[in-house]
Amino acid sequence: MNLKSKLNRMKPHLTGHKSDPVPLKEEKIENNGNIPYHDIWQVNQTVPYWLENEYCLIREIHFPLSFKHGKYRLSDCIDAVEAWKQTSFFHPLSAKDHDIEDLFFFDTETTGLRGVGSTIFMLGYAKFTSDGVILRQHILPQPGFEVPLYMSFLKNVDYTTLVTYNGKSFDWPQVKSRHTLIRKHVPKLPDVGHFDLYHASRRLWKHKMESVKLTEVEKQILGFERIDDLPGYLAPAIYFDFVDRKHPEGIIKVLEHNEKDILSLISLYTHVTRQLLGSDTDQTSNERVEAGKWYRSTGDHDASINLLENAYYQDENNSSAAHTLAFAFKRKKKLPKAVELWKQVVQSGSFKEKREANIELAKFYEHNEKDIAAALDSTKGALQNVVQDPLMKESSRAIYLKEIQHRLNRLYRK
Amino acid sequence: MKKKTVGDLVEFFKTDKDIQQQIVKWHTIEPKKADFSCIPHTVHPKLVQALNEKGIGQLYTHQEEAYRLIRNGHSVTAITPTASGKTLCYNLPVVQTILENPSARALYLFPTKALSQDQKTELNEWLDLADASITCYTYDGDTPANIRQKVRRAGQIVITNPDMLHSAILPHHTKWVSLFENLQYIVLDELHIYRGVFGSHVANVIRRLKRICAFYGSSPQFICTSATIANPKELAQNLTGEKMELIDQNGAPSARKHFVFYNPPIVNQQLNVRRSATLEVRKLAGLLLKQKIQTIVFAKSRVRVEIILTYLQELVKNELGPKSIRGYRGGYLPTQRREIEKGLRNGDVYGVVSTNALELGVDIGQLQACIMTGYPGTIASAWQQAGRAGRRQGEALILMVASSSPLDQYVIKHPEYFLDTSPETARINPDNLVILLDHLKCAAFELPFTIEEEFGEHNLEELLDYLVEERILHRSKDKWHWMNDAFPAHNISLRSASQENVIIIDQTETAYHKVIGEMDRFSAMTLLHDEAIYLHQGTQFQVEKLDWEEKKAYVREVDIDYFTDANLAVSLSVLEEDKTKQNDRAVISYGDVSVRAMATIFKKIKFDTHENIGSGPIHLPEEELHTSSSWFTLKEELHELSEDRIEQGLIGTAHAMQAIIPLHVMCDPQDIQLVPQIKATHNHLPTLFVYDRYPGGIGLSEKVFEIGITILKEALLLVENCQCFHGCPSCIGTEPHAKSAKKDAMQIMTLFTEALEGDQLES
Repeated sequence: MNLKSKLNRMKPHLTGHKSDPVPLKEEKIENNGNIPYHDIWQVNQTVPYWLENEYCLIREIHFPLSFKHGKYRLSDCIDAVEAWKQTSFFHPLSAKDHDIEDLFFFDTETTGLRGVGSTIFMLGYAKFTSDGVILRQHILPQPGFEVPLYMSFLKNVDYTTLVTYNGKSFDWPQVKSRHTLIRKHVPKLPDVGHFDLYHASRRLWKHKMESVKLTEVEKQILGFERIDDLPGYLAPAIYFDFVDRKHPEGIIKVLEHNEKDILSLISLYTHVTRQLLGSDTDQTSNERVEAGKWYRSTGDHDASINLLENAYYQDENNSSAAHTLAFAFKRKKKLPKAVELWKQVVQSGSFKEKREANIELAKFYEHNEKDIAAALDSTKGALQNVVQDPLMKESSRAIYLKEIQHRLNRLYRK
Repeated sequence: MKKKTVGDLVEFFKTDKDIQQQIVKWHTIEPKKADFSCIPHTVHPKLVQALNEKGIGQLYTHQEEAYRLIRNGHSVTAITPTASGKTLCYNLPVVQTILENPSARALYLFPTKALSQDQKTELNEWLDLADASITCYTYDGDTPANIRQKVRRAGQIVITNPDMLHSAILPHHTKWVSLFENLQYIVLDELHIYRGVFGSHVANVIRRLKRICAFYGSSPQFICTSATIANPKELAQNLTGEKMELIDQNGAPSARKHFVFYNPPIVNQQLNVRRSATLEVRKLAGLLLKQKIQTIVFAKSRVRVEIILTYLQELVKNELGPKSIRGYRGGYLPTQRREIEKGLRNGDVYGVVSTNALELGVDIGQLQACIMTGYPGTIASAWQQAGRAGRRQGEALILMVASSSPLDQYVIKHPEYFLDTSPETARINPDNLVILLDHLKCAAFELPFTIEEEFGEHNLEELLDYLVEERILHRSKDKWHWMNDAFPAHNISLRSASQENVIIIDQTETAYHKVIGEMDRFSAMTLLHDEAIYLHQGTQFQVEKLDWEEKKAYVREVDIDYFTDANLAVSLSVLEEDKTKQNDRAVISYGDVSVRAMATIFKKIKFDTHENIGSGPIHLPEEELHTSSSWFTLKEELHELSEDRIEQGLIGTAHAMQAIIPLHVMCDPQDIQLVPQIKATHNHLPTLFVYDRYPGGIGLSEKVFEIGITILKEALLLVENCQCFHGCPSCIGTEPHAKSAKKDAMQIMTLFTEALEGDQLES
């Protein structure tokens, strides 16, 4: 019996096999300088890049600085970079030591989500020039032509910092992985800095957004709505079809999708900068709190207090602003200011904030004021907060109760 | 009363009248002195000193031989019984090489995570003693994310398992460049475990590993260690595709061992029914445990482990604490296992009841006595289990208690067969199409295939083109690229035929449902059906609902006096006949078949008496299997025999052959199945099918076709020599309907033997 009929018989036992196989067809390799559907590519601003008998496709589009994507113009990003230079704030997303030309807004399209076998079939990026933004997309016309893809990419680029959306854990490692497979044939990958705006979005907006997918951020934050856009998860299937049929119509949709992703990176960097520098007049009090917390975690406490104070003055009923600011004051040894804020928080905060505020007040009364009665009151307040908090896990509740009991015992002894 | 020693108990077993009557054979293995060689002068003084500090002044001969061969660039396979110092066989050359060249790398593969942990601890202790700054890490599901990157970049010795290599390392090989560029040694420990389906998968994982190494420019040597099997060198070469040097002269010493063959008393002479092995083990283990003799009891199934555990804990609960006797099997949580292992080493645990999980090199120290509840199924396994008992000083008592199964009865009545015969052959079939194709996909995902490449013995181009048609690969000129959005390793399990396991969920406490274990799909059909009694750590659970779609079994703790046993109905059809041998009365064939299996009913069986106290239906969908098979057909009617007698004869033949096959082909009993049919679908003739229980087959039934004469002759002898009158559970199976069944089975076996001696016709 031949191998083929055996294979077909075993089919029910094979994992992941589709029921409609395609007949095998001869692959035509064009090496005379003509690529399939050359004319369609041409009207879509795409030209081939040849390397010996292999090629990749490069699409290039120019945008004027006045071009508006969502609520920002591209030129606003230049202002954002300039604004960093005017501050003394320390932040991982700071462009203080960069020029606008150093930033490389980068996004890829791949055939899968992980592993060596997930092929990157498009490397897209945008960068600023003196009179606008150039957006280029390097496209893999068929598997195996990766040498021209990476060669053209690595030769064409000159940059110091990537700006991506989740590129730190996805796009760039995947580039490294695919690059390793052909590393003997192409130049080394440069060491790069990295601004990952996905992490920024999580920090700034997870308090109000269920998902910080790029399309959601565009809609809710950047004021950009996609029309007729291809859902990203379809990209692999469209690419496989393109490899099969060579007709560009589907893949051009993917190019347009990728183009919007990249433009959004530019607007998003503008917006995130304004959030971090507190220069966005529409910034909500809560957004200022999140930005303030971020500075606190990076160690820039002055910048943190600056934003938190603004958050609090913007909305004095924002207990989260008051509470976070109180801790910042305490750290700065401005205890009376902190205590005033905590007195407010124990009235209006969340259960968690009230509990923490009560404990802080108890410490203050016990150690600074030596007012044991007031300390006892605050501690009992914290006890109430722990008992009443409906969201607290039972295991945590037990730990807090023990701590508070300990504190109460000590106060009673005094 | 003074506590007795092992020596006292040996004397007691030799003299006690009741016990003495049941002992078929008392075989004493004399202690063996060690054979030593000097530590080679090329070994670094730091390592010599560390060895000295551990009390090792010289090497056993096999350790020195391994060092010499490995350092001369050979791949080796060493036969290493339990407690023979096998780790030094690979650790010494590996560590010495890395000391000389710190960029060199080694990859250790152990079949289980538990063994990896053991190894790392042991190796790190030794490296500390030697003050050698060599980094050694385990890399498995438990490795914290924050040190994974460090392991990938800087681990000089990386310890992992084949599953992890398959699904986490190879598909991400670009993150392991420094390992693959410098990989000099691959250690494959417990080689004998890599047989059957698992071994066939692992052989393909190793093909993929070698392919990746070649890409990065390394060609590592293989160092394998194995328990005693018939074909260690062949198995190692099939697994690794490398030429091997065999090291089979072992220099390690051993204690005096008493190997006792114990056959439970007959309770029904007419039917040749013996007292249950489980109940006998309860009695014998009780005698030992009450004297605080550290004892390991092996049982063949998870259920059996739990039943014996319950018995023993009850028996000694007044003498010893409840935690002094423990169960040990797959399905327990790792922390539970570590605790039991530690308890055995420091002596807090006196007794352990285990499946073959403790056959492997998990470090539990040396115990004083070992009891096997029934013959473990293979000679290799029996010696591994026996090796668990035997401290350097003193004696060890090993009891093999036979069950009524024909295999057990054959072994117990022919102890010389067990003691003198070479152990079984371990078979793998890396070119099984289902397995091969799975790994071809993974390999293509890892690196594109080129037309010059080889991967297995089939025509690679044809297979790759098939995957192109299936829209999994893309061919351009003479290269095949992965062209799919899936992550192929994710859906491929090395361990079991079925892709998805059934999760077992305890819902005893309504508010706190918890997962207590998992089981492969095929076993779940007969062990986790609705109303089944599932035993876990001595606790009984009843299955309240098996959700077959979601692969979840919901169980609740119960306290009842029975366990359950399920039946599986099987139908077969022949798809393709590859080989035949025949004469005018019988024909034996080998080829491909389709098997359809369905769980039908279950019985409730009472503890202690083992009587049947009820039954119920099982409603689960049919499972279909395409596999390879050998089938034995009677060509013309046997005029003197009625249809009913032929059927009984075939059932008897099946039963006897089932007992003999595992003596020749190393497999777990459920890997191979025998189904007699009075009118087979394809030829309407009385036919006995022997088939592999894995899609595409793994070479077991093919081996049965090859050595059919030997198997049939021994099966005939088994039936002939049985003490029963008309057939019994120990020879031709359960209580026969007719007095002629034994004679008829023997006649049928004779006919088949003659046919096999006829001409072979290839078709």
